[in-house]
Amino acid sequence: MIAAPTTPPPAAEPLIAIEGLTKHFGAAPAVRAVEDVSCVVARGETLGVVGESGSGKSTIGRLLLRLIEPTAGRVVFDGQELGKLTPGELRRFRRRMQMVFQDPFASLNPRMTVGEALSEPIRLHRGLGKAPALDEAGRLLERVGLTREHLARYPRAFSGGQRQRVAIARALAPEPGFIVADEPVSALDVSIQAEALNLLQDLRRDLGLTLMFISHDLSVVELISDRVMVLYLGRVMELAPAEALFAAPAHPYTAALMDAAPGAARGGRRITLSGEIPSPAAPPSGCVFRTRCPFALPDCARVEARLREIRPGRWKACIRDDLRL
Amino acid sequence: MSSADAAPAPALRIDELRTWFHTDAGVVKAVNGVTLSLAQGETLAIVGESGSGKSVTGLSIMRLLGRTAGRIESGAILFRGRDGGEIDLATASEDRMQAIRGRDIAMIFQDPMSSLNPVFPVGEQIAEPIRIHRRLDRRAARARAVDLLREAGVSDPERRVDAYPHQLSGGMRQRVMIAIALACDPTLLIADEPTTALDVTIQAQIVALLKRLQRDRGMAMIFVTHDLKLVEEIADQVAVMYASEIVEQGPAHVLLARPRHPYTRALLACTPHGATRGTRLEPIPGLPPDPFAPPKGCRFHPRCGFALARCAQEAQRLEAVAADHVARCWRWREIAP
Repeated sequence: MIAAPTTPPPAAEPLIAIEGLTKHFGAAPAVRAVEDVSCVVARGETLGVVGESGSGKSTIGRLLLRLIEPTAGRVVFDGQELGKLTPGELRRFRRRMQMVFQDPFASLNPRMTVGEALSEPIRLHRGLGKAPALDEAGRLLERVGLTREHLARYPRAFSGGQRQRVAIARALAPEPGFIVADEPVSALDVSIQAEALNLLQDLRRDLGLTLMFISHDLSVVELISDRVMVLYLGRVMELAPAEALFAAPAHPYTAALMDAAPGAARGGRRITLSGEIPSPAAPPSGCVFRTRCPFALPDCARVEARLREIRPGRWKACIRDDLRL
Repeated sequence: MSSADAAPAPALRIDELRTWFHTDAGVVKAVNGVTLSLAQGETLAIVGESGSGKSVTGLSIMRLLGRTAGRIESGAILFRGRDGGEIDLATASEDRMQAIRGRDIAMIFQDPMSSLNPVFPVGEQIAEPIRIHRRLDRRAARARAVDLLREAGVSDPERRVDAYPHQLSGGMRQRVMIAIALACDPTLLIADEPTTALDVTIQAQIVALLKRLQRDRGMAMIFVTHDLKLVEEIADQVAVMYASEIVEQGPAHVLLARPRHPYTRALLACTPHGATRGTRLEPIPGLPPDPFAPPKGCRFHPRCGFALARCAQEAQRLEAVAADHVARCWRWREIAP
């Protein structure tokens, strides 16, 4: 180690860098779904993204995979800026980035057998023939805890937990390095959820996957994430290693989210938020959280709370440094 | 209150309730021998996974099983009315139930949008049960609706009373449902997953509201949920359901800290919480039973780490493990408290 760097070095080689990512939907007034979000995701890392409805967490996932176009900002995947790719190049790139959704039924064609649904991306992305692709599909099913016998079945024959396994297998089919999992366990019963979370952790370790895990459930995010990004009204409130963030939240919103979670047993006084999340079409001036923040000062309405590094690796968007949360 | 009320009569006693659904594919015994009791002014959480029968138990109490498939086959649902007498809701006439629903027992659901009428202002929907059960005139009923909205934590109730459901957020709609439920001062409120569709900060608000209302009004409450962590927040008593049966009931703080049934224990072990970071959870092996053909003996035995040969043959009854705590397991003594 030589001189202190002037910009934060990523903990490991970044796979993804997003810079000033912004997405507005519609016009007059536009819904500001995502506003100036920047971060890097290291290779092999799991970044948890947590926030309530309207926080922009799902929009960020879709922007990352270029399923929707950003209003501003850029996404760099393994050194390549996605916005500069031609449609053909982007298609080839897609193989390396896949998505798992909350509702596996929505991503599985009810009229295709699981074997067909899995073979298709294998043939498309990996150029295998029909028989080897089906064989590979069987291997994938085994990888996610199902069996080759399931190849001939239709999605409706599966339970919710099994269907989510099929959706995970399908995401793995093109051998991606990066998966965005958008509320992948939210619709599952707790005993099934535990299996799915264990599976994701195993896959991540065995295949060296990089994961963006989007969830509204803090306890699940805490379980699976290396680092956590907390979003509110499209802005990053806090970004920190999971252990540090859950041990001592730095942003009032993070603390309030932790306190609102049932069974929360944080020491000291519990923060309860009054009111509801404002409309993303008319976000408050200054700090967007100030209208619900129990610690807001008059300055919070005037000064934009920029995301800043308060300790190495710990970022927060709050002007107050005097709070003990 | 005299000293004679040391052990207050329960607000509700359910005894060996069986609610079955007769479908083309066979009989689903959705509730099969449920026995539980709820003291006045207390909150009982019924917790279980999908298909465990927890919601059907709530609907059976209200006799909201629809006209088709669901039927109470046997058992008693003894509800203590305002006059102190017990009524068996399992056999009460439909006219009697009409009078009880909304007035003595009210219910709120997960999705307020499906219970609210989209074409009427919320104030009219709150006023309707008051006008039916209390015979108030339009103006008095509207004033009462405003008061109820205020009590349910709706800000600016004089304006919101004229709002249509679609103009309100999910949290506000649930507050409107709560206002409707409270309209006739019920003595029992059944809340079926009332916060499941809500964001966590709004959930915290609604839970705090329900706790306050329950305490201030001395209501009994049944809180149906899949979320064990929420149980800890809201309930005095917990009943855990698995495959149409109660497997354990006891005081919330005892049952969650020292479960005596293997299923309760397994549910707690697979629920993520602060101490599980980076660890593997312990999923419950196997799948929930086929509702058309549940296993013989103890219904949990195929998935249970404690199961003996006996468990596959002979089902245990709910047995007292302490004065106010019952469990349905042959081996409860060995399950470390």
